[in-house]
Amino acid sequence: MNLICNLFSSVFPTLEGDGSKRDREQGIDASMRFATLGLIKGSVFWLLVSSLLGLIVSVKLHSPNYLSEYSWLTYGKAYPAFWNALIYGWLFNAGLACVVWIVSRLGGRPSGNSGLLIIASGAWNVSVLLGLLGIFKGDQTPFRMLEFPTYVAPLLFASFIGIGIWILLAFKSRVYRSSFASQWYALAGVFSFVWIYTVAQGMIFCSPAQGVFQSVVAAWFGGNLVGLVVIPFALAAVYYAIPKVLGQPIVGYRQSNIAFWSWILFSSCAGLASLGNGPFPAWVVSVGVVASFGLLLPLSIFSMQFLSSLLASFSKIWDTISIRFVFYAVVAFMVGTIFTILGALRGVQEVTQFSQYYDGVRFLVLVGFAGMSFTGVIYYILPRLVNKELPNTSLADLQFWVQGLGIFLITVGLVYGGYVHGSLLNQSTADTVAILENTKTYLFLTSLGFVIFSFGNFAYAVSFVWIILSPRTEKEKSADLIESAPELEYTHS
Amino acid sequence: MNRGPFIFIGVLIIVSLSWAFTLVKPIQEAGRLSPQGLGTDRVPTLLPGLASQGKEIYQEQGCVNCHTQQTIGIVGSDIAREWATRQSMPLDYIEQTPVLTGTNRVGPDLANVGERRTDANWHYLHFYNPQITSPGSNMPSFAFLYEVREIIGEPSNRALELPAEYRPEPGYEVVPSREADALVAYMLGLSQAYEIEAAPTPEKLAYK
Repeated sequence: MNLICNLFSSVFPTLEGDGSKRDREQGIDASMRFATLGLIKGSVFWLLVSSLLGLIVSVKLHSPNYLSEYSWLTYGKAYPAFWNALIYGWLFNAGLACVVWIVSRLGGRPSGNSGLLIIASGAWNVSVLLGLLGIFKGDQTPFRMLEFPTYVAPLLFASFIGIGIWILLAFKSRVYRSSFASQWYALAGVFSFVWIYTVAQGMIFCSPAQGVFQSVVAAWFGGNLVGLVVIPFALAAVYYAIPKVLGQPIVGYRQSNIAFWSWILFSSCAGLASLGNGPFPAWVVSVGVVASFGLLLPLSIFSMQFLSSLLASFSKIWDTISIRFVFYAVVAFMVGTIFTILGALRGVQEVTQFSQYYDGVRFLVLVGFAGMSFTGVIYYILPRLVNKELPNTSLADLQFWVQGLGIFLITVGLVYGGYVHGSLLNQSTADTVAILENTKTYLFLTSLGFVIFSFGNFAYAVSFVWIILSPRTEKEKSADLIESAPELEYTHS
Repeated sequence: MNRGPFIFIGVLIIVSLSWAFTLVKPIQEAGRLSPQGLGTDRVPTLLPGLASQGKEIYQEQGCVNCHTQQTIGIVGSDIAREWATRQSMPLDYIEQTPVLTGTNRVGPDLANVGERRTDANWHYLHFYNPQITSPGSNMPSFAFLYEVREIIGEPSNRALELPAEYRPEPGYEVVPSREADALVAYMLGLSQAYEIEAAPTPEKLAYK
């Protein structure tokens, strides 16, 4: 009976209003302050590490002698170190911080067990560090997004289980019977990671599938890590930020469940499209191509919901720092998903295969969408967590423009440069050195983008340390200056 | 949609279906191939011992991040480039764990590098400094796999014969380490130059 009720309510989400009290919110914040701040600290640290590595990687690509005397930092090690620090270091820490906050706040009740969250998130960061050291030492595996040495995997997995259990307990202890789209995506991301990581470790390392099927499993995992874990966490952040910051419900909220289930369905196979034309079963690739095209359905719903909601209060986007990041993220998401769909087209893949096009798309989706939306939500939650105002908003402004420009340049450099690279690589017999000469402009552009992006990240770190270390003003001590945000999750337009 | 278990079950079903349909099913259908033929006719050919150690160096150094080991036969220009004569097939990889098919081509494909570049000395110079053999390349130098040592008595017969501008100071020589030997043996051993009937080639697909 429950299942039927749930099925019904998934088609017609129940809507329930609720009141709010700042005291209660402060109780919730206090129950998770230490752990959430810890995750944000981790995310800022790993963002700096990954932007440094990204800069090194992009410079090495056009100046191979740069730092080439260090055997632990050769391009083949710096490249996986960069992507893993970016995803497991920055995006997971930032995403989990947002998810932990969102699930607790939407639940409406302080959830205990903060000890579990603190230990698990600490262990997560330790395992990311061990994984990176393992890559530098030479223990990497040759599978994208699974490069961490196999001896790190159990610790990484166990610490994620710890964080996941905390999120489930926080969700379970909620006051409101109904749930909001952000909560669905948060839970889906947690469940998916546990499942796909188990499959990948089991079928590639514990009892390896034969030959090329290891690559098939790796492509499945790589696609799902982005599509079923990082993007759902980012969507949870966007669904939370828009009504909270703009003070209006999401336009067309009723369609959220269709978007949710179709996104999970299509995204769970879309990563396989990257295997095209190789020594892999062709029909598996075709499933990936079809699934990639299916992403158009949820994408159209997301675009309709997010853009209509954001454009309805466009002036607020320029006034409010957190929603400006979310706006950038939404645009990046639309462009990135369209690039993903186009990149799966046979005709395009014949040109772009093995080129940097896919790195560019991945960068746009991961950093432009997920990274920017997490940053936006962190700018929303940070003042509430520490009960201080942002000490310098022009620094955050600067960060937005600089990071935004950096991401744009890197994406253009990789996507357009990748297209040129791919057309010379796959459509001509030009020598690889000649191809390099023809794409050097784009490689320089990417490096320039990384310099600018790193500068923005540095501004972010300064802004973060500033708000943490600055003493509370009298006003902040005596009164509660944070106005409570409207609770619109359970209402709709 | 209001309960955790509902979302859990929904996600579990969808991801499990994707797993069963796109991973388990093809592995059951085509993932239990066995080698064909014996001795020198064996398909796929076996790597010699030193070359297997070289594969580990290849993996440690992350060469897979710039080099694929898979030939595309139906589209693209791999065959026109004479990188291979046929498309790579699953049978080529059945003894590789982990498999190194790769996803990026910053440099050329290496599935048949042992057929194209048969001179060991070329590889030794190339790894020491790619500018010697491929001027303008963006491959990093792997000079740390070599030992620069003082010549005591007779020079080693294994010392690299370097062009003047890459030579160490007089009285010193550059000798490959065991790792460099293994990596070069691996390069020389990389080959898919045997026939697989089912493999697509442009001739077979001439109607395309």
